[in-house]
Amino acid sequence: MSRAGYRRLGWLWFAVLALCTIWLGWMLRHGLPADTDLTALLPADRQAPLIEQADRELGRGFENRFLLLLGDDERVTTTRALGQALQTLVDDCQLAAIDWRELDLADADPHDWMGQWRYRLLTPEWQETIDRGDAGTLVEPALRRLFSPTARPDPVADPFGLLDTWLARLPGSPIGAADGLLTLGRDGRQWSVLIGELEGSPYDQPMQNALHATLEQFQQQHPDAELLRSGLVFHAAAGARQAKHEMSTIGAASLLGVLLIIGFVFRSPRVLLQLMVPLLAGSLFALTLTLGFFGRLHLLTLAFGASLIGIAIDYVLHLQCDRAITGAGFRLRRLLPSLALGLISSVVAYVAQALTPMPGLRQMAAFAAFGLVGAWLTVVLWLPRFTLHASPFTARLATRWWRLCQPRWRLPPWLALIGAVVLVVICAVRLTSDDSLELLNPSPAALMQDEQRVQQLLDRDTGSRYFLVQAEDTQTLLARLDSLDTALDRAIADGLEIDFQSLADAVPTAAQQQANLARVRSLYGEPLDDLIRRAGLPAEVAEKARARLDTSAPLTVSDWLDTPLGQYQQRLWLGETPEGGVAAMVVVSGARDAETGRTLQAVAEAVGGPQARVEYVDRVDRIGALLGELRRHTALWVVLAMALMTLALVWRYRRRAWRVIVPPFGATLIVLAAFALGGVPLNIFNQLGLLLVLGIGLDAGIFNVEHARQPSAWLAITLSTLTSLLAFGMLAFSATPALHYLGLTCLIGLASVWVLVPWVRPVDPDRIHQQENEHG
Amino acid sequence: MPLRRWLITLLLLLAPLSAQAFDLDDLQRQLAATPALAGSFEQQRELADLDSSLTSRGTFLFERGKRVVWQLETPVEERIELTPEAITNGSGESAPPGGEQVAQLFLQLLEGDWQALESRFTLALSGDQDAWQVALTPKEAALRERIAGITLQGDRTIDRLDMRTPNGDRLEVRLFDQHPLNGS
Repeated sequence: MSRAGYRRLGWLWFAVLALCTIWLGWMLRHGLPADTDLTALLPADRQAPLIEQADRELGRGFENRFLLLLGDDERVTTTRALGQALQTLVDDCQLAAIDWRELDLADADPHDWMGQWRYRLLTPEWQETIDRGDAGTLVEPALRRLFSPTARPDPVADPFGLLDTWLARLPGSPIGAADGLLTLGRDGRQWSVLIGELEGSPYDQPMQNALHATLEQFQQQHPDAELLRSGLVFHAAAGARQAKHEMSTIGAASLLGVLLIIGFVFRSPRVLLQLMVPLLAGSLFALTLTLGFFGRLHLLTLAFGASLIGIAIDYVLHLQCDRAITGAGFRLRRLLPSLALGLISSVVAYVAQALTPMPGLRQMAAFAAFGLVGAWLTVVLWLPRFTLHASPFTARLATRWWRLCQPRWRLPPWLALIGAVVLVVICAVRLTSDDSLELLNPSPAALMQDEQRVQQLLDRDTGSRYFLVQAEDTQTLLARLDSLDTALDRAIADGLEIDFQSLADAVPTAAQQQANLARVRSLYGEPLDDLIRRAGLPAEVAEKARARLDTSAPLTVSDWLDTPLGQYQQRLWLGETPEGGVAAMVVVSGARDAETGRTLQAVAEAVGGPQARVEYVDRVDRIGALLGELRRHTALWVVLAMALMTLALVWRYRRRAWRVIVPPFGATLIVLAAFALGGVPLNIFNQLGLLLVLGIGLDAGIFNVEHARQPSAWLAITLSTLTSLLAFGMLAFSATPALHYLGLTCLIGLASVWVLVPWVRPVDPDRIHQQENEHG
Repeated sequence: MPLRRWLITLLLLLAPLSAQAFDLDDLQRQLAATPALAGSFEQQRELADLDSSLTSRGTFLFERGKRVVWQLETPVEERIELTPEAITNGSGESAPPGGEQVAQLFLQLLEGDWQALESRFTLALSGDQDAWQVALTPKEAALRERIAGITLQGDRTIDRLDMRTPNGDRLEVRLFDQHPLNGS
């Protein structure tokens, strides 16, 4: 290619990147359209929007509220101090509300707003008693209630206390009142309860800081007080603090390391800048094209895609090392075959992944492939035109380093094969996998313990297990919920240790309500007269009471959800579905084991019938299964890509192909065997780390064989594994599980690549060049 | 002479002080002198929208700091036991929601536990140790919606409790034939 043509290509690439910037700016004008739901990574027919909606609905209370439990000997004073401190946050508009005094929840007297529906709501026991014709037996308890000193009798509106009996069946809140404070009494200990409501997002930094500072200050002033925290805001804040902390320790250490190494080798700050340009250009190219193709971007794609572009650092280092050492004698043409082969082999691996049916993997692969192509083009078209002040030190260093790393003997192919077989056997025997949800959970253990204790003390479910029930209309839905409740009650009677919350407990079907009203009419016959007479009340009280029945209104779902008691159950109601039906949830709490899960699944199938209108969902299992599916798919396609690459390499290198594939494949096997021996289970995150190891290992293998006699190649391989080790391997020290596993894989994998390379370097590299000439 | 005038002035000044010296702490001590007692009660509940009232009678047993046993005899038989932790009744029926709080208040009133009551009520004591009266007015608006006021009357023991609600309902409990119990 002519010099002018090469320059023109450089300018063309600049124009492309400029266009990308404009396009990206236009696409991001409303912010980044990012997905966070894991299921968005699955094929469309496997996604379940209704389940996603149900998950969101059940999680809402956890998101915009928080709950504090305070236990202390001087409970009243300390609670007052904390309550008032948090009240100042409300006054500063950081929080929407904080409830902690007894009267903060006092408006919840059900008699004031449930009265009009009471004649249509009967407990099953009362229904049975009246149906049996034993309504007379209800007189005596009613009398006792009328004359109890603690009751609030109302002989006209409700002489039998229908409403009290019905309300007593509803799951009451465990939070009561004592000493003028909201109080939770458990196991002889009293906890003060403070309920906060957020003004905005739980991820709002100033609010998190203010809340954190208030609680820290309180704990310092009252070191003996035990404070338990529950709510997404605390997890979000802990995550943000941890990220900041790691950024300033791990992040700073790796950046400093890379700066020192590059500065030491090239003696020029410019090289460092030139290192960043291809990575940034590649990311820009990848982000624009991926967004352009897919319309949306998953956050996982962004995180891992950006890491995979890190492979591109190879291209930069090989080019720069060669330039620094050969100086004016540098020719791009000589390096181009290895650079192109490095790019092609990596991109082939990603293209293979792009063919999977999993949109998430496709997105990630496209992002990485575009990124690598973009970075590669930048390296090839721009870098040689940037001036490089080659220091003679670099050449001296390369030669000395090359001599230092000459191994005494070479790895014979048969030994490599035996080693590989041994490692494969170790992996096959001992390697386990883990797809649990904890991998995605970056919260510190202390906070998770707090959360568990609060849930346990409050006897509250986390909404992570539920039945999703659908029907054509509300009445059918209520009937279906009712039959599900009956089936669950039966299972509980048979020994299933669970509890559940259902809307059907609160809202009977219209037909049931009508039947209940008829029952109350019969109760209001002779039994009522009897009751009024024995209470010593005038007979017209009975007449007045009967007249109330005629004004009775039916209770609808929306009526109920609007009441203060029903508000707590709003999370159970999904309302209209896109298919035109209605849906609701029945939330399960209590025992959690495989046997319980199977029983609940069986109940769902029995009640839901062949159309599966009742689904049992275990969020934790579901997300685990999704992660597992992603992991297996990635593994399968990576293995296929490896096979494909091997074929391509065999075609080019013939009998020497094994020398190219030992660094990437050997490192992969060493990582897997190390995990197998160390008991580290395989998960989606260390598998994504393996992709990085494969990419860098393959580049190292190619350059090692193509430029076997050149110290510059060995220096570049060393630098690229070392800088990648610093950039990714250091993540092994992160407390976030996902980053830790990614980092650990890179740490072991990249170190293995670097160690393996010298042992498989060809002894007589001239033959390679002969072969090259034959092909060329 | 000046000395005598001075003494009279002093006596005049002191007289109202000694009359006022009976305060809530004295009353509490006076009540606490009887750790356990038994007697009869008559409870009358007047309901505003009814001309008639609900009247019941029975006996009671009171152990300070422990429990109150309310034994209804007419018009229906029922044994209700109130402790600071729970309400239990003979029929084993569950108490209506919110009943615990009413029971707790009832116990605090019978105990004369002014410290606990003061967090929610303004207390006003009048009379002397042989005929005293304590009027309680709720402090917070939310409680005022349920209770207009409470009056306690008595001498060595509490003889009468009168609770009025804003809608005109009234609960009057008279305690009589009270006699201290020995032992616990």
